Amino acid sequence: MLDAFSSFLGSTGIAALINNMMTAVSSGKNILEVIGTPLMIAIACLLLYLAIVKKFEPLLLLPIAFGVLLTNLPMFQNSSAILMHTEFFTDPQYMIDGHLDIQRIFAEGGLLDLLYLGVKLGIYPPLIFLGIGIMTDFGPLIANPKSILLGAAAQFGVFITFLGALAMGALIPSIGFGVNEAASIGIIGGADGPTAIYVTKTLAPALLPAIAIAAYSYMALIPVIQPPIMKLMTTKEERSIVMEQLRPVSRTERILFPIIVTIVVALIVPDAVALVGMLMLGNLIKESGVADRLAKTAQNGLMNTITIFLGLTVGATAKAETFLTPATLGIVLLGLIAFCFSTAGGLLLGKLMCKLTGGKVNPLIGSAGVSAVPMAARVSQQVGQKENPSNFLLMHAMGPNVAGVIGSAVAAGVFLAMFA
Amino acid sequence: MTIGEALAEGLQVTVVGLAIVFGVLVILMLVLMAFKAIFYKEPAKAAKALPAAQSKALPAAQKADENKAESADDGELVAVLTAAIAAAYSTSTYHLNIKSYRRVGNASPEWNKAGLEDVINSTY
Repeated sequence: MLDAFSSFLGSTGIAALINNMMTAVSSGKNILEVIGTPLMIAIACLLLYLAIVKKFEPLLLLPIAFGVLLTNLPMFQNSSAILMHTEFFTDPQYMIDGHLDIQRIFAEGGLLDLLYLGVKLGIYPPLIFLGIGIMTDFGPLIANPKSILLGAAAQFGVFITFLGALAMGALIPSIGFGVNEAASIGIIGGADGPTAIYVTKTLAPALLPAIAIAAYSYMALIPVIQPPIMKLMTTKEERSIVMEQLRPVSRTERILFPIIVTIVVALIVPDAVALVGMLMLGNLIKESGVADRLAKTAQNGLMNTITIFLGLTVGATAKAETFLTPATLGIVLLGLIAFCFSTAGGLLLGKLMCKLTGGKVNPLIGSAGVSAVPMAARVSQQVGQKENPSNFLLMHAMGPNVAGVIGSAVAAGVFLAMFA
Repeated sequence: MTIGEALAEGLQVTVVGLAIVFGVLVILMLVLMAFKAIFYKEPAKAAKALPAAQSKALPAAQKADENKAESADDGELVAVLTAAIAAAYSTSTYHLNIKSYRRVGNASPEWNKAGLEDVINSTY
């Protein structure tokens, strides 16, 4: 009786917590590793607070934060209760010739290990893009083709940050940023969660949680980050420019657009097809108008399911030993730089287009080029309306906004083609 | 890798990468411009009707919405009014500029209101 009770006590999380901390102390590890578990649980609670009270992208941050919590609960080594074994996916010791040991994952993996396969094998991000495609209206872009360039200019931040991360890696070798890591960090500037995850899971899987959390947090902060930059870089006159109404777009154009984009992107950057192809499939399902049932499922049931799986498992990769490192701090800093430069890149081209068209383009729509649909476009609308209450930039800003999604997916494809 | 080497390699990737991103999107832009040339016919009638509608819309907007300077938080109401006028005159908000508006009471008999509501509900 007493034996049974004591063996139960020995298997509790409390015992595991104390045991793990004692082992860390006795083996002379640094303070971060000793208090790693409680610290990560505190971080998870902070993220939950941001998601629930502050409403920072709650649909994603909430599952991510809970994933962080689940994966950092104190457990004994080799306990069958462990939900996530990040080492199965990153540690060569657990792999076969650098490839996943699927047998082992099925045999020993926990719930989150199995769900994480969807991230690792590149299944979830394209499926999310399918849903996004259905919710995207390319009409404003088709009506104003020039605005697609603003979506390209806003990828400026991706490459600036790539350079910044490389420089940081060269200056502080211990942080371990090579080209692969730099590319994954840079893509945060695409302001596109699934794209960032898709690139990172291939190029730098160890950085996945930090990059995903940074990307989604900064996306939620777009209404805070962008307006000061927008005001700084544009004059009052530029901000009050009223743009001409967009022409109506026919159904034929709406149907042809996704098909042509898929073909063009595939011909030039095949690595971007997984993302762009699914985005365009979703859009075609909607615009064709003949597959309403598919559209409903893909943008509701399917997308929400995937969002839960994706958020939960990305959060679950944030184990103390890989997350509590200087690299995470570097990523948080570089992510902010990425967002700022992407905004600036879009605005700069917006200003240029304003000059070239003789003041017909309001440069504020340029900042919407950083994807983050539809928040960035809404920010353009709000900043514009402050100068001129009867100015409606929203639909004009949607053009660069959806072009930004295509632009960052192409940038992702470029990185994958070069480094994967 | 020294910082010089890192930046040199990074710059190469940056130039090539940005060129490809711009290249792809420029091609798509040309496709979209071709779309406009092929599929979009400038409605000649609408172009002529527009100035007429505009001249009508402006005084109407002013008549209906007289007096009372707009305060700072009226942006949303002005937006709705502009959009409504634009829709009623089937013109663009581009040509409309609401200078002022005033709430007018609805003095029509209750039966008329009920009838109007019925029609609206049955249509939409």
